[in-house]
Amino acid sequence: MKKVLMSGKNVCKSFSQNGGSVQVLNHIDVDIYKGDFTVIMGASGAGKSTFLYALSGMDSMTEGKVEYKGKEISNFDEKRMAKLRAEEFGFVFQQTHLVSNLTLFENVAVTGFVKGTRNTKEVRERAMKLLCQMHVKNAKDRLPSQVSGGEAQRAAIARAMMNSPGLIFADEPTGALNRSNSEEVIHLLSQINEKGQSILMVTHDIRAAIHGNRILYLEDGKIFDELELPNYGEDDIRARESKVNDWLVSLQW
Amino acid sequence: MEYEILIKANLKQHKGGFIGIFILILLISSALSMVLSVWRNSEYYIKSEMERTGFGEITAWVSEVSDEKELIGEIEALNEIERAEIQSLIFSNYRIKEQESDSEGQLITFQSQENRYRFFTDDLLAYREEELEIMPREIYVSPSMISMFGAEIGDEIIFPIVRGGKNMVFTIKGFYEDPFMGSSMIEMKGFLICETDRNEILSLLEDAGIDALARDGAMIHIFTEADSEITIAELNTMINEKTLLPEYAEFVHSKEAIKGFMLILQNAFSGLLLAFVIVLLFVTIVVISHNIGSTIEADTVNMGILKTIGFTAGKLRGIQLMQYLLLMIAGIFFGVFLAIPLSGLVIQATITTTGVRIPIRLWGLGCGVAFAAIIILFVVFILWRTGEINTITPMKAIRKERNKLGIFFEKRISVLGGGLYFRLAFRQLMTGKRRYIGAGIVAIFLVFFASLVGRMNSWLGADGKGMMDAFNPADHDIGVQVFGNLTTEEAEDMVRSYSDITDTYLLAMQGVAVNGIDYTANVISEPERFHILEGRSCMADNEIVLTEFVAADLDVAIGDMVMVRGDKGMEEYVVSGIYSCANDMGDNVGMSREGYLKIGYDNPSIWCWHYFLSDPSKKGDIMEALETAYGGDIHVHENSWSGLYGIIAAMKVLMIFMYGIVFVFILIITVMTGSKILSAEQKDFGIYKAIGFRSEKLRMIFALRFGMVAVIGAGIGVILAEIFTDLLVSTVMKFAGISNFMSVLSISNVLMSAGVVILLFMGFSYFASGKIEKLDMTILMEE
Repeated sequence: MKKVLMSGKNVCKSFSQNGGSVQVLNHIDVDIYKGDFTVIMGASGAGKSTFLYALSGMDSMTEGKVEYKGKEISNFDEKRMAKLRAEEFGFVFQQTHLVSNLTLFENVAVTGFVKGTRNTKEVRERAMKLLCQMHVKNAKDRLPSQVSGGEAQRAAIARAMMNSPGLIFADEPTGALNRSNSEEVIHLLSQINEKGQSILMVTHDIRAAIHGNRILYLEDGKIFDELELPNYGEDDIRARESKVNDWLVSLQW
Repeated sequence: MEYEILIKANLKQHKGGFIGIFILILLISSALSMVLSVWRNSEYYIKSEMERTGFGEITAWVSEVSDEKELIGEIEALNEIERAEIQSLIFSNYRIKEQESDSEGQLITFQSQENRYRFFTDDLLAYREEELEIMPREIYVSPSMISMFGAEIGDEIIFPIVRGGKNMVFTIKGFYEDPFMGSSMIEMKGFLICETDRNEILSLLEDAGIDALARDGAMIHIFTEADSEITIAELNTMINEKTLLPEYAEFVHSKEAIKGFMLILQNAFSGLLLAFVIVLLFVTIVVISHNIGSTIEADTVNMGILKTIGFTAGKLRGIQLMQYLLLMIAGIFFGVFLAIPLSGLVIQATITTTGVRIPIRLWGLGCGVAFAAIIILFVVFILWRTGEINTITPMKAIRKERNKLGIFFEKRISVLGGGLYFRLAFRQLMTGKRRYIGAGIVAIFLVFFASLVGRMNSWLGADGKGMMDAFNPADHDIGVQVFGNLTTEEAEDMVRSYSDITDTYLLAMQGVAVNGIDYTANVISEPERFHILEGRSCMADNEIVLTEFVAADLDVAIGDMVMVRGDKGMEEYVVSGIYSCANDMGDNVGMSREGYLKIGYDNPSIWCWHYFLSDPSKKGDIMEALETAYGGDIHVHENSWSGLYGIIAAMKVLMIFMYGIVFVFILIITVMTGSKILSAEQKDFGIYKAIGFRSEKLRMIFALRFGMVAVIGAGIGVILAEIFTDLLVSTVMKFAGISNFMSVLSISNVLMSAGVVILLFMGFSYFASGKIEKLDMTILMEE
């Protein structure tokens, strides 16, 4: 029996545009389970990122509520939300979004200090360990502008991992990378998921999506369908890719 | 047309920065117009009023003249003299609101047909229109009596005329404008009374004999011929040598010297304000430079595109120049208009110190020349600063190459470890240091000036001790001068009943002529007490010390001989040193008692006993007790001067004005710089929020960056103030005859100037960073 980590109830989001209102998320109910690698797919403009940002509290909702570990977080004030982000959530963005004037190591370690419960030595050791795991140890003293996109994105994953979050939100983490870098990044996300890390990822890339064990398909602001898969590596990759592909074709993706 | 479209678009896009620059130019324009106009009008008005009211090239104050007609005839018979006019008066000490005057008052008989004096309305806002008649026991005084003694209409002024309590008591009926003695910088004061009262005083004096305390006297205004080229010194020498005037003269002042006294305050504070405006001008240049840099940075792509459609770098620079010129002209225009009511406020606020109502009108020529120079300076600077537009090529611009922020420092201080927020702020500051240079330079300028004024204020002191030390030839706690039958021993006994006397010396201030020119001689029994700047004091009876102003006037130096004439005779003295004493705007000399007695008669009443007390806090009690016990037989003064309060008040106004302007400037520069940095770094702020930083902490880090810039700027400003304050202020002070200005670095003036600037930078940057609170984190979203 899977344990619900996060749930969104009646999640709505609309924008005003040209004097009217555009409904991007339309009364969505969703549960995200602990340990899952959940993937959100959908056509361009379907509201995938908006949904991710609404669930993570990075953006406000027009209606609805979000609970994390049984507590409603959608009514948190800025102070409690900041604490939640520091301790429970990790973020990986499409454009890496590392702080431009901090080295890769500093970008990762600063996150450790925000949590404020560990001493300097512990933070440094943890940051170094994660950078080693992400294979960017050699670039640790470089600035984001001095490393490749793949290296920067791996450092961003290390940053997201820094405080051992309950859930990592990844918004198109391979969207700005070339194929080899994309594979490496998604492989790393898979690896951490194997170790029990819950991940909620938005992607439009099938090769990335097949790493998830649950794929939600968003259309017209609603979860139109979802696909359950065995954990990545437990089945044949080609068969898994084919299954996802067929499913998406059936949804006229 | 294309210029109009682009300028409009630019002004709209960068309106925040442009509004800031407009306000800065408006402030500079209004302050500069005000300072120049007040300065020019003061000078012009005093000069014209002195001429209108009948003061000659030289005015001699005389008393006990045996035959006035004969003396006038003697003077008028001299070559180069056109005429001499006499104005009768009575010299008398006076008491107002329990305060004794330090100098004798001059009771001048008012004659309405003369049309010489102007009278103020009771609220001092205008002149009286109606013809005025002074009734018996009514008296009109200068408005400076308000700042000097707290005088009000209805107050009584007591003039002791004859010993034994024969006083004349007048009631202040109103205020009049005295262009000759009206400033609070001048201790001698004129009072207007009616003919009847003058006659009553004269009859009292006639019967008084040796018990007289007041003296009949006059002002003799001496006019030279229109085409005369004689100098004041030559005129003075000629009159002293060829007439009997020296026998009767109490003191002699030239029109220029009196004008100098009347304008001390206006000139000193106009000078300081002008210096402040120049500082603000440089600050504005820094702000414009910063704005040009950030505008080019933000508009690089647009400029590249414009170049692809045929705009040349010259045209683009022209557009930049035109938009700043528009701002400048608008700022100057509105500022000039604002200067008129501002001048009115300043003139009205200072009338109780200056004693005169300076006309409120703009000095068109001066302002025009100043603004033309400022515009030329700005144009040259803007053309130079926009030079980098030449380097923008369409491809570079479209690739946004210029926008890439260089991170040049390799030996970074880690952000990790203790003080995370401080370290992060430092890193952010170092990364974008170019953006903070403007704020840093502004901090340097503002702290420098604030520190300079702070050091002047410290020198002046809360009770004006610094100024008094500059004016007094030697230090003391109180001075006591006895007259009539009262003996010094009696007075001293009373002083000792309050506090022990730790030291004492004698001082007399006597008129002498040095190389034919009249000066006041500070004659002292202990010449080692003079404040010597160079050489040594006049220890021998054939030595004299001069102020540097007198030495320059006489063109003599240490070791030279000068001929000094007193009321007894004439002797040659050697200049042994240069000393400091700002009395009579520095027109004085110092002599030992023995030295003076070779040329001047001794008389117990000329000597003032100067005492040092073991308990100086008893000064007030002692003075009150002596005055109560001996009344007109004693004159007591402390190391103070009533005009000082005018200076202290003016200094306070200057400080308030200066910090007000500092407040506005820092607000503008911080908001301008801050909004640009916030806009450039909003993604970084989004990232920090995404990893758990609270807005409040990010705002604190943001404010810390400005705090660090301000600390560095303030440090440099304080150092510059340490190096340049004495040099710059001494130059201004010399106009007031003060040659020994020496400020000291104190915790209070550093904390005040640097602390205020640092706190303002931090406070305003925290305020400007409010946008972080509202930052929408979807900025990180790429959809």
